Amino acid sequence: MSDITKKKMEEIAQMWNARGKGLITHMALEIEEVSSEGVRVRMPFNPDFCVDADQTLLHGGILTALLDSVFGLANFVAIDGVSTMATLDLRVDYLRPAYSRADVIVRAHCFRKTRHIAFNSGSVWFEGHEDAEIARGTASFALTRGGTDLFDAMTKGKTS
Amino acid sequence: MDVQTANANVSRVPFFRFLNFEIRSLDNLHAEAEMTFDDRHIGNPVMEYYHGGIIASFMEATAAIAVQPDFADVPAKPINLTVDYLRPGVKGPLFARANVTRKGKRMASVSVITWQTDREKAVAEGLYHFLLV
Repeated sequence: MSDITKKKMEEIAQMWNARGKGLITHMALEIEEVSSEGVRVRMPFNPDFCVDADQTLLHGGILTALLDSVFGLANFVAIDGVSTMATLDLRVDYLRPAYSRADVIVRAHCFRKTRHIAFNSGSVWFEGHEDAEIARGTASFALTRGGTDLFDAMTKGKTS
Repeated sequence: MDVQTANANVSRVPFFRFLNFEIRSLDNLHAEAEMTFDDRHIGNPVMEYYHGGIIASFMEATAAIAVQPDFADVPAKPINLTVDYLRPGVKGPLFARANVTRKGKRMASVSVITWQTDREKAVAEGLYHFLLV
């Protein structure tokens, strides 16, 4: 059962997209589905994220960055009243070479949340090839609660 | 391989240019690199900390260079990684040192540490595996 309202979820998605700077802006992420059960996000192809001269093979690191970002979003929507959130650890398996110029799709969810810790997992594939995952990741996040809500801090931070 | 040639290889990789780092030292079992902070590296827009994924990417890049500085087309193939985030990476240069703990015919295991002003105060530590075949 969701412990945050649908409206707040939409606000979170909107705020996340509107962040004025940083890696998320460069990844040009598009949130496709968002609920407390999990999120689905699209990353359009970007030649800057490739390792080869032909620019068709994505670097693993960008998939790791994508998972880390989307885990954060999944926690945002699944957990209410978080004031800070930091990645504690992250494990990523690169299951196949990421050889394509197709958009990348990632699905992630928070499978367990406690007062201090959130546990996440997620999968990454190229659009249309959900049966051929290119990466899978798990992570844990340290949460603090009380004080300024992270959502409010980010909304304000955006304009500064 | 000398540092200059290694950096020439680094500059061929689009994503390494996006990360914007340089190899500072290199021998058979180690590589050290320095990444210059850029707004596009930001993960937390309020505090302007490095994105965890950028830190992990920089560590992966440094590890791949330590394993195979003379790569032909693409850097060494990564299998998987685990990263422990110990401190926030604040605005400023980030350093990485990759140590090849084992390099066989097919596989390599590399540990990486990153820091900012004090080598003893790690920002993150990671373990990376590469496929060499």
